[in-house]
Amino acid sequence: MKDKIKLALAQISSKRENKIENLLKIEKLTLKAKQQGADLIIFPEMSLTGYVLFDQVYELAETIPGPSTQKIEALAKKTGMHIVFGMPELSEKTQATVFNTAVLLGPQGLIGKYRKMYLPTHSVFEEKRYFRPGYEPAVFQTDLGNIGLSICYDVFFPEVFRLARLKGAQLIICISASPAVRSSYFEILTSARALENTAFLAYVNLAGVEDDLQFWGGSRLVGPTGDVLAKAKYDEEDFVVCEVDFGDLKAAETFIPTLRDLRPELFDKLKEYSEHL
Amino acid sequence: MKLTPSLLEIDFSETQRRICRFIKEYVENAGAKGIVLGLSGGIDSGTIAALSSLAIGGENVLGLMLPEKENFNQKDIDDAKVIAEQFHLETQVCDISDALNGIYGTIPVFDQSDRLCKGNVKARTRMIYLYYYANKQNRIVCGSSDKSETMMGYFTKWGDAAADIAPIMDLYKTQVRKLAIHLGITKELALKPSTPALWPNQLAESELGIKYETLDLILFGLELFMVPQEVAEQLGIEKELVDNIKRRWLANEHKRRMPLAPKIGFRTVGNDFRLPRHTY
Repeated sequence: MKDKIKLALAQISSKRENKIENLLKIEKLTLKAKQQGADLIIFPEMSLTGYVLFDQVYELAETIPGPSTQKIEALAKKTGMHIVFGMPELSEKTQATVFNTAVLLGPQGLIGKYRKMYLPTHSVFEEKRYFRPGYEPAVFQTDLGNIGLSICYDVFFPEVFRLARLKGAQLIICISASPAVRSSYFEILTSARALENTAFLAYVNLAGVEDDLQFWGGSRLVGPTGDVLAKAKYDEEDFVVCEVDFGDLKAAETFIPTLRDLRPELFDKLKEYSEHL
Repeated sequence: MKLTPSLLEIDFSETQRRICRFIKEYVENAGAKGIVLGLSGGIDSGTIAALSSLAIGGENVLGLMLPEKENFNQKDIDDAKVIAEQFHLETQVCDISDALNGIYGTIPVFDQSDRLCKGNVKARTRMIYLYYYANKQNRIVCGSSDKSETMMGYFTKWGDAAADIAPIMDLYKTQVRKLAIHLGITKELALKPSTPALWPNQLAESELGIKYETLDLILFGLELFMVPQEVAEQLGIEKELVDNIKRRWLANEHKRRMPLAPKIGFRTVGNDFRLPRHTY
């Protein structure tokens, strides 16, 4: 594990249903990140295909490993980079069961994946119509440190981030496809999730417009006391390289000892009450 | 939540930015050369003309003025020209009188006294002109429907609401007026009484039977899932008035949606056949 790592927040606009072009963009920016000394590059939710896919998601979904992850795996090996991106994942066991998945790859190949647990199905969102939810928080021990994965609407649910932190994540990545009317919620919640867990949180959102959704960008690295350490532009593509200093965690954990003060017995109540809402 | 006019106050700079981004990206992604819109001299069309011009440059926006003899109004033409000049739009005037008379003359059951049916022919004829220019010049038709009229069904089905994009359809009329002033349109024009211009001296508020200031708050209350009783109490108005608005709000959904098709196939258009709008 390194003391410090450099992240590249690759806030892109994906070409819908055009994996070839999106893979080229991922390759180009990964090379750029490497040149700028980054260890890890993060692309948004569904960056492989675009977000607003409706029924086309069944054509575009791939297994993991699959053709696209193999290409990105080769890129990670070639550059020695760690790469996170989002894609529709087809279950290996069925022909039309799809997950909204974040994938983490490194110089040694595929490290792991996270299937989005909270699928927004309200307002302009209809993810439950197309996706099966995941059931497992995802934290991976890597050469860079312990990295947790989450996706977009998960940020409204503190338990996703708490679980990742309790499994050892020190950097939690949240990839996103958030439209503009919701930007203020994400700005508040990304800081809150980092602060309450005293962890780094890297949030990477789509830019661009897909049908009537305008993604607001605003990607950011949030420090363990909730400070925004780096921020990308609003509404347009951007590329920001920033640094995570894991040495900051100790001071944060002593100053805001939320992990020390956890009350596990309350979680039983939480389960009981939420079952009887 | 208390229903007050301040609830409809929004950040007009942010709204302008968001709408302009929407227009620009849509036109670019569609591979279109520009926009065509109907420039009536009213505030809705003036606002979309301004927004389109700010988004993609006035030289790429064509404002069609479509006067006709029965309903000719020089003030509307003058107001449309003021907008065109202010926002550097291209304009073209097409007198649609002969086209209308041609249509009237070939309908065996045409009834000169039925002004609604006749007026709807006018709105649909204007749509034909807009789409001719769109096809011929590879332009996007930019609609001027606002949320108040859309929710009340106060428009001609497949007529004035027919468009490729509707940049102000999520703004109530009172919000459109304020956005217009924010964009630099004169107050006189922004506050000018609205008319669909289907027949002489037709005024929207007279036909709707309510001022937009009140209507918009009622519609916003319904949007927030308030029941008519609650809306009426909050605004200090008769519940019957809110009931009537709500009845109209519900009854006109057919004008806002694709035609219903009986479910027969595996995936059905307008129902569960769901595809992205554009694959770029």
